Amino acid sequence: MTMTIETVRTRAKTRQELCRSVKKLLVSRLDLECDPAMIGDDQPLFGRGLELDSIDTLELAVAVQEDLGVTITDDDTECLLSLNRLVDHIEANR
Amino acid sequence: MTTTLPATEQPAGSTEAWRAKDAVRTADEIARMLPHRYPFFLLDRITALEPGVSATAIKNISASDGILAGHFPGRMLYPGVLLIECIAQLAAVIYGAEGELAGGADGQVADRVGYLAEIRHAKFLRPAFPGDQLVVQAHSGARVGNLISVTGQISIDREPAVQARLAVTQRPDPTA
Repeated sequence: MTMTIETVRTRAKTRQELCRSVKKLLVSRLDLECDPAMIGDDQPLFGRGLELDSIDTLELAVAVQEDLGVTITDDDTECLLSLNRLVDHIEANR
Repeated sequence: MTTTLPATEQPAGSTEAWRAKDAVRTADEIARMLPHRYPFFLLDRITALEPGVSATAIKNISASDGILAGHFPGRMLYPGVLLIECIAQLAAVIYGAEGELAGGADGQVADRVGYLAEIRHAKFLRPAFPGDQLVVQAHSGARVGNLISVTGQISIDREPAVQARLAVTQRPDPTA
């Protein structure tokens, strides 16, 4: 399937906006002490990334469900490994 | 679903005839689902129950409750942490009932009750005193792994008294 340059630009813009809103959601719902703009799109959410724990995972799942209408189940937990994966999951399911 | 026989059809000595109409689960039946025991068994009656989804319970505050002897002498006030625990125990009933539906025996259901993992956004809007009847409500939310999000509220005389969101855990099924 071929896409026009305009379609590609629109999609990229939508993706950027979604990434921005997910970063804001992360910071506000998990009370993170960082600027949402400083979170990289490929940044891991756990370990050396944002250092989230399993309880934060649940809160993130609640936040994504409440604010974006997308459910994260046990089968989707890989989407919580990085911001990009999470945004992929949201894009695919909303 | 529990059905109540008319009093005339009850076996002699049965307490079923006096079973309250709103009792979806009596205190004895709750005790078979939960591992908690005196003095930490807090719910008196379940009045609505949708296994795995939501439940409503009644908790009566009594001046004879030992905890009120120390909280506080001369100014009895039911502790806020125990109000949160009421919501957590009701959450365990919601998942215990789901376990029963899945065929778990009483002991197995109680064994699966896990721990309180998080208390988030807890608000205490009015205090609970001896003589108050608490209506405790809990609703299940998202689940990730063995963690379950639960929203709960407690009202007294139809006025909101507590609002809280908790995360609770369920222990793995040893038979799975």
